[in-house]
Amino acid sequence: MTAAIDRIPNSVFRVISFAVITILFVMVLFPLYFMVTTSFKFESEIYSELTWIPRDPTLTNYRDAIVNFHIPLYLRNTLTVALTTTVIVVLISVLAAYSLTRLRFPGRAAMARGVLFVYLIPGSLMLIPMYLIIVKIGLKDSFSGLVVANMSFSVPFCTWLMMGYLRSISTEIEEASLIDGCTRMMSLRYIVIPLSVPAIITASIFIFNNVWNEYIFALVLAQDDAHKMISVGLANFYRSDYYMVGPMMAGSLIAMTPVVILYILAQRYVVTGLAAGAVKG
Amino acid sequence: MSQETLSQPVVSLSTRQPQKKSSLFAGDTRLGWLLVTPALLVVLGMVGYPFLEAIRISFTDRMVGRGPGQFVGLANYEYIIGWPDFTEMVVRTVLITIVAVGLKTVIGLILATSLNQDFRGRDVLRGIFMLPWILPTYIIVLVWRWIFDGQTGLLNQVLMSWGLIENNIPFLAKPASAVAALIFVMVWKGYPFYALTFLAGMQTISAELYDAAKVDGAGRLARFRFITLPGLQQIMGVVILLSTIWTMNSLEIPMLLTGGGPSNATEVFPLLTYHLAMQNFRLGEGAALPIMMLPIVALLVLGVASYMDKEATE
Repeated sequence: MTAAIDRIPNSVFRVISFAVITILFVMVLFPLYFMVTTSFKFESEIYSELTWIPRDPTLTNYRDAIVNFHIPLYLRNTLTVALTTTVIVVLISVLAAYSLTRLRFPGRAAMARGVLFVYLIPGSLMLIPMYLIIVKIGLKDSFSGLVVANMSFSVPFCTWLMMGYLRSISTEIEEASLIDGCTRMMSLRYIVIPLSVPAIITASIFIFNNVWNEYIFALVLAQDDAHKMISVGLANFYRSDYYMVGPMMAGSLIAMTPVVILYILAQRYVVTGLAAGAVKG
Repeated sequence: MSQETLSQPVVSLSTRQPQKKSSLFAGDTRLGWLLVTPALLVVLGMVGYPFLEAIRISFTDRMVGRGPGQFVGLANYEYIIGWPDFTEMVVRTVLITIVAVGLKTVIGLILATSLNQDFRGRDVLRGIFMLPWILPTYIIVLVWRWIFDGQTGLLNQVLMSWGLIENNIPFLAKPASAVAALIFVMVWKGYPFYALTFLAGMQTISAELYDAAKVDGAGRLARFRFITLPGLQQIMGVVILLSTIWTMNSLEIPMLLTGGGPSNATEVFPLLTYHLAMQNFRLGEGAALPIMMLPIVALLVLGVASYMDKEATE
């Protein structure tokens, strides 16, 4: 067996590699290709038979999704929650990460260790108590409730990511600034935060993405139209026995566009955060 | 640029040196606590308190819309254990998790090895392979559900047009194929993350090691086994453990793909929790179930933590 694999010439090995990549590549693009083409098909075409290219391209599904299914409203709701969460979480987490990596004080080590544990508490455990607490404090069907729920998993994650980054960058400049008379806060403001911009961008993208893509808490916490998240709005297309495939594909493409654009713009930052276990997969 | 940034976190994870203690760090106590307080409040209030609430509720017969409920001791736990399908549900959850994580690891490793060669367009390919990981889970699941649909599903249309089948196959309505579909979607969504982190790890392994091994006559398999795998051990350990936690607790995929059916074939534990609490309104039992699964999660979390500590001491 060993010898057999070793005897394969390099050229053959490369061909095998390309075959593997091609198969997986097709598997990745298959659903995406049909999402796009289906979104331009009339309903009759979708349900009748397989067509690789829309016979009679139409924008009906997009009009349906936008006009009849309130997609713009849900997008605005989601954007509000995602941006608010991201700003608050980044602010809180950067301060905490700085404190936990740079300052020496009793209790620091325990808290620094605890961050990972808190981050890994499964959502299925938090769902019921979080739901009850949000209802109790009167934040069901409100943006604040969704922000609170999203903060609960974003703050530990973002703090963890920022701590990893701060540990990896040299402290020499900071120490020099302190010797030259900077206070801790000045050093944080003028040296640490500017140096951390890549990590802050990475963290912001992941938090924004996570909120944008979150479904379970959104489903449980915001049922009314005025506060409904895009994920819940789209999943509702599938509620009944009658699947509105066309509008759903159109709506899904609209919903994932911001995520994809964000990701293309910031690809190198996204790649940076990869190995930090950044997005649940 | 991209390669350097790729390898950066892999390195940063392992460069946690203890920082020098110097007089500069004196007098930090007040500021330290001040800066950490907002995050601490969030964690205590929005994670710690709900966590304790979950434990408390699990000892009550609380139901939705019926007040706080009565203390019932271990009744909820007894109810769940005494439930005829309980063992089956646990076995099902564990098996689905193991198969999904195993497949993600193998496919991730194969793809990473394939991408870890020089060829044109590699960065573009890497970007495309990131799509399943970056796209919203709910959209991916809804699309696959439509593809697997037994009436108007795309897969049936494709198989039909190629003349491979004559009648529609209700993929999601048969237990075996529904489980297969669930695992398939989990793997489809998950393996790119493995591949990309493994690839990042592979790129930190020095090429000189491979050259030296070649000179010494080590074959392809030997190089993979004695250089690549040991070099990846750390990152593989962390990724597999983290992913096991997430896969085991994955609620969205089974919920939106199969809803637990047909005849409970895909009813995994997070989904059962949801059904107990949000459909049957039995909050006490719904809270008790994830707490019963907590020991497994805790073991995995301790595993992750020990990997992280090993990095810190290395």
